[in-house]
Amino acid sequence: MWTTLTSEASDARNRASVISRPIRIGREVLLLIALGVLVAIFASQSEFFLSERNLTTILRNSVDLAVVCAGMTIVIILGGIDVSVGGIVAVSAVLIGRAYQYDMPDMVVVPIGLAAGAALGAMNGAIIAKSRVPPIVATLGTMYIFIAVLFLVIGGVWISGLPNTLSFLVLGELFGLPSGLFVIGAIYGLSWLMLRRTPWGQRVVAIGCDEHAARLVGIRVDRTKIQAYALLGLFAGLAAVLYVARLRNVEVNIGTNIALEAIAATILGGANIRGGIGSLLGTLMGVLFIKMTQNGLVLIGVSSLWETVVIGGLLIVVLVLDALETRRTS
Amino acid sequence: MNDPLTQRMVFLTGLLVLAGVAGALLSPHFLQGSTVGYLLQYVPVLGVLGMAQTLVMLSGGPGIDLSVGATMSLVGLAIAAMFGAGVPLLLACAAGLVIGGLLGAVNAVLVCVLKVPSLMGTLATFFAYSGLALALTGGAPIGGIPDWFAGLAQGRFLGIPVHMWVVFVPLAVVLHVMLSRTRIGSHIYAAGNDERAAFLSGVKVWRLRFGLYCLSGVIAGLAAIMTLSWFQAARPDAGEGMELLSVTVAVLGGAHIFGGIGRISGTVLAVLIVTTLQVALQLANISQAWQLAAIGVLLICSVMADNAVGDRLRAAARRAAS
Repeated sequence: MWTTLTSEASDARNRASVISRPIRIGREVLLLIALGVLVAIFASQSEFFLSERNLTTILRNSVDLAVVCAGMTIVIILGGIDVSVGGIVAVSAVLIGRAYQYDMPDMVVVPIGLAAGAALGAMNGAIIAKSRVPPIVATLGTMYIFIAVLFLVIGGVWISGLPNTLSFLVLGELFGLPSGLFVIGAIYGLSWLMLRRTPWGQRVVAIGCDEHAARLVGIRVDRTKIQAYALLGLFAGLAAVLYVARLRNVEVNIGTNIALEAIAATILGGANIRGGIGSLLGTLMGVLFIKMTQNGLVLIGVSSLWETVVIGGLLIVVLVLDALETRRTS
Repeated sequence: MNDPLTQRMVFLTGLLVLAGVAGALLSPHFLQGSTVGYLLQYVPVLGVLGMAQTLVMLSGGPGIDLSVGATMSLVGLAIAAMFGAGVPLLLACAAGLVIGGLLGAVNAVLVCVLKVPSLMGTLATFFAYSGLALALTGGAPIGGIPDWFAGLAQGRFLGIPVHMWVVFVPLAVVLHVMLSRTRIGSHIYAAGNDERAAFLSGVKVWRLRFGLYCLSGVIAGLAAIMTLSWFQAARPDAGEGMELLSVTVAVLGGAHIFGGIGRISGTVLAVLIVTTLQVALQLANISQAWQLAAIGVLLICSVMADNAVGDRLRAAARRAAS
């Protein structure tokens, strides 16, 4: 027993220190280069791409995914995954829409959305922590349930014409800069502080590196897990608020792509599904890459259908480079 | 009866009966002979994908193939395009299976050679393949598949769809025999149960998994051929949603997500349950939402029940040992 334990522990240590450090720094530089190449291609093909208006558009379109991704990064660092975030965004959004239809003020509507997200996230966390269902299976199951709830509440009809009282959060300006920038900045700043500057964040990383060892040193693993999934849920709820604020409607197919896009952005950013490793800055760059691709392809007249090819291709390249790097260093 | 897998089979059979009874209560049209053929029409495509997923999961790692649906879409398009370019259809189908195998081999290289976690590697190829399927066709289906080819998925023999007879049942039997009666099968279980022990006793763990990812691609090709015959057209989004649905079916059927536990028969039962639910609710004209909710609850509860049973068995074993 002890031999496997210690070897696992040293394994985790290696993953956390020896391997992750050089790769993570390399990853952010690599992403910066990829972003640079992408910008150069799009800018050379379309003079509109680098215009202030278009950059603002990209930013506005990125806000909801970026917010979800901050939570996803933390959950993946914890060694978990959540494929149900799209469902959480959808349920929160539809509740927000219904609440607006009952003429509730923002002061009530926003907490409803956030609380719904946090509650659904906590439910995921509780199932995963308490009944030891693997995270991908548990959240796959809850995804079906959340989508069912969405269908039952929305009844197959769009909710539209919602008030624009919150639009300033995404569409407004603050100190001459788009307000979405401040939302993203606040969420990522907060997440970074929680992850890297608090004991809670250390517990998250510890669990991600070696859950068994974390349990042995007295970390309350179950509680931390539930909190992390609840945090992701809360962010998904916030993403729903921002989504409704931006588009002022709730579609039937809202949230379909969010989970896989969020996981893709997080992995692009250098997080490892095995846990313990991840970078919020990298994730944010992953989000930007995905959203710039979506925007740029349309501008240069290439069908937006190529978007997933570009994302998938870059993911493969990044994973292969990572693997070769790991092989070289070990 | 104490064997957890046997309990699983009993549990799943019970669920299937329950789904059937529910169907009969919900709709007067359910208990008719024609329902069987109608129901089985939907089984083979999801069924073979579920089996592919089960194999990949069984060998451990942990293994998962999120690209099965996208591979299926892409292979279907390739076959239809080759046929359009003048290649005989059966030859195109054979080539399609090879292409499926090659697409699977990309996963295999990522996961088994480069040691990228399977969830990440196959997520990347899922994006790439499904993107290619949409982008290369501009989102439009490729039609023009001749009527004679429709016999495979639209024809009936003894009231049961032909593709049940010639694809689904044979594949299930072959895979079942492979897993339960051959050395490869026991190697797959060994690799899934304890990778290091399997390696030390001479099982070429990663080579085995490499083969299973390729096989998963070939099986996705089979699914593509069946859909092609069914719709007489290749749709770029034919496999959409299949990645998660196939995982659902495999897990519901008792395959453990970390490998080593599972049976083809469980997967077959799980597909029948999911399809029965689907058809029953459809016939009763009840919102699809309830079907989704039922699948979600089933998925979570079945794994929770497994854990509980496992705990009890372990406790009993400990008592017996002391």
